[in-house]
Amino acid sequence: MSDFKCIDLQNKNDVTVVKLRDDKVTDAERIATLGEELMTLSQPDGGRVVINMGNVRFLSSSAINKLIVLERRLSSGGGNLKLSNLRPEVEEVFNITQLHSVFDIRADENDAVGAFDS
Amino acid sequence: MTDIAYWNYDEWLPSDTTVGSEVILCIVENMQKIGWPEKEMYGVHVSLEEAIINAIKHGNQRDPEKKVHVVVKSTAENFYLKVTDQGAGFDPLAVPDCTAPENLELGSGRGLLMMRHYMDEVIYNHAGNQLELKKQLQKNKT
Repeated sequence: MSDFKCIDLQNKNDVTVVKLRDDKVTDAERIATLGEELMTLSQPDGGRVVINMGNVRFLSSSAINKLIVLERRLSSGGGNLKLSNLRPEVEEVFNITQLHSVFDIRADENDAVGAFDS
Repeated sequence: MTDIAYWNYDEWLPSDTTVGSEVILCIVENMQKIGWPEKEMYGVHVSLEEAIINAIKHGNQRDPEKKVHVVVKSTAENFYLKVTDQGAGFDPLAVPDCTAPENLELGSGRGLLMMRHYMDEVIYNHAGNQLELKKQLQKNKT
């Protein structure tokens, strides 16, 4: 059992799969907690992480910034972050902000996990 | 006679993001009650978050001595928001283009970009501590 408040973790083929608990990632305190919890996923040697965003109906730019920080941290250690299961309205935000070119966005969780070994 | 649904709001909020989030949800719920479709509310919700929470966090720096004035005038077809903080203000023209390749991973500018995408008008006053947003619902898009 983890003590995480904002995320649930699962291991699939040595990939850490993260599900965000909140459907609306807006509250400033929750976003701060989310950021702290996501940071625990980065290891000195990077790490392979998929964030399944299927639960997320809404996220603010502050929440997006937490994802960017994690992506940067993982990449700097040779790891990789992939996002999956984005709802259309959430994916639109990534398109508007051009962040689809920063994140590896996959249609679903299995596709994202499998992409690490392809 | 046309039955015009409307919802207005005019309050001074403390510089507390929890209160700000509660007010945002209240605004969203009431706009949906007067007929705004959920599809359109995503952009309105994003813009409310960026305008009100930024005024509390960045404008007033969460100073308990300062307040944020929020005015909403909404009908079934039009949304107007005015947010005024008591901070020093900022220059929106100085915000870096967060879509430029060299700025993609910066932590600033994304909220402003999203407001400009979802709203018809995004207007800052000269001091940079007051923001007005306007959006007209396009009936043929619902």
